[in-house]
Amino acid sequence: MDLMHHSSTFLLPTIPLHHRPSLTYALVVLNQTLPRFAPLLWKHAQLRLCADGGANRVFDEMPLLFPEEDASDVRRRYKPDVINGDMDSIRKEVLDFYRSLGTKIIDKSHDQDTTDLHKCITYIWDFAPDANKSSLCILVAGALGGRYDHEMGNLNVLYCFSSLRIVLLSDDSLIYLLPRTHHHEIHIQTSVEGPHCGLIPIGVPSRSSTTTGLQWNLNNTEMRFGGLISSSNIVVGEKVTVQSDTDLLWTISIKKL
Amino acid sequence: MPLFFPQEDASDVRRRYKPDVIKGDMDSIRREVLEFYASLGTEIVDKSHDQDTTDLHKCVTYIRDSASGLDKSNLCILVVGALGGRFDHEMGNLNVICRFSYMRIVLLSNDSLIHLLPRTYCHEIHIQTSVEGPHCGLIPIGTPSKSSTTTGLQWDLNNTAMEFGGLVSTSNIVKEEKVTVQSDCDLLWTISIKKL
Repeated sequence: MDLMHHSSTFLLPTIPLHHRPSLTYALVVLNQTLPRFAPLLWKHAQLRLCADGGANRVFDEMPLLFPEEDASDVRRRYKPDVINGDMDSIRKEVLDFYRSLGTKIIDKSHDQDTTDLHKCITYIWDFAPDANKSSLCILVAGALGGRYDHEMGNLNVLYCFSSLRIVLLSDDSLIYLLPRTHHHEIHIQTSVEGPHCGLIPIGVPSRSSTTTGLQWNLNNTEMRFGGLISSSNIVVGEKVTVQSDTDLLWTISIKKL
Repeated sequence: MPLFFPQEDASDVRRRYKPDVIKGDMDSIRREVLEFYASLGTEIVDKSHDQDTTDLHKCVTYIRDSASGLDKSNLCILVVGALGGRFDHEMGNLNVICRFSYMRIVLLSNDSLIHLLPRTYCHEIHIQTSVEGPHCGLIPIGTPSKSSTTTGLQWDLNNTAMEFGGLVSTSNIVKEEKVTVQSDCDLLWTISIKKL
């Protein structure tokens, strides 16, 4: 079984040059309060999308993260490349502002079958050349909190696109899928994340999961909702390995710096 | 609590909203808060030796086993603060309602409420339209559902299969004042709470 490497280098001020794996980042901003490190994610991303009301968040809240600067300058600097979605949340003046700056507007209001996040992932998937898909990593801000059915729909997007690296980020935690098709090595960036972590078998019970590098390691352990799930675990050291018979969600706390 | 009653004296509010029990591993409660409530007669149950269960789990167990003077025949546990914050905590709290599937436990945030619909029953959900809805969802959190059926929703399920990676009923809309659900697996029901 192939090894898949994971590392939260997108939370570091600069990404080390020869860091492995070498990834291209895209950022999707959904309609929740921007995390305090949103400008950092924006800096690392080569493509920045707002899903519908996420554009309101960038417009309203980016200037708040740079209180000494002029709001208009901040808004021009943090201009999304694309605004995508069903357009029922974005304010007209925000839409007009970014459109006038050249942001591509993709109106998907006719498509009520998929969430705004799903639409953005599909856009990125179609946009990225095939050769680059395996080195693509999509960072998502604002997927958690708010309406719970939205949060669950966003978690489901990780499972629907299990071959894509997608990281959901809030102020407190990050989450991504560990597909069952691979053994996983997670390189912990201890300056920015941890030590609280968890492995969550959402959607299907796991008959056997095994880890190293955690305070309470799993050893061919069964996990399921209604029984054992690995929450309130602790990362010990700088490398965690995981293998499982099912897709697992990995979550780790983000340090308040 | 005092912030909800800005015209009142904070001490008066705190005396009025005195918990009966403070329970858990005590690693977060501030010392002066603990002493304030202890002096008012709140029962303090220190479970710091028990690192195997979440604070919510400890509280549900306490309510189930120990709480005296409580009529448990028709018990419903309302939980605030289970969502948001660290994601592993949130999942641990969801798991508590899955583990105690025979108890009514409702998780509440500003935006949503969640409770379990155990597979052992057909369910009738009477929608309080003045305070909740219309956005709702049914989530097969632990196992795939081979067959779920609903009435009263904009997009009803009809012996429909649901699973993570496939169809999960989110962004659904409550259409009638009564929603019915039956399923071959435990489902999480979630509905939005109106901002009033």
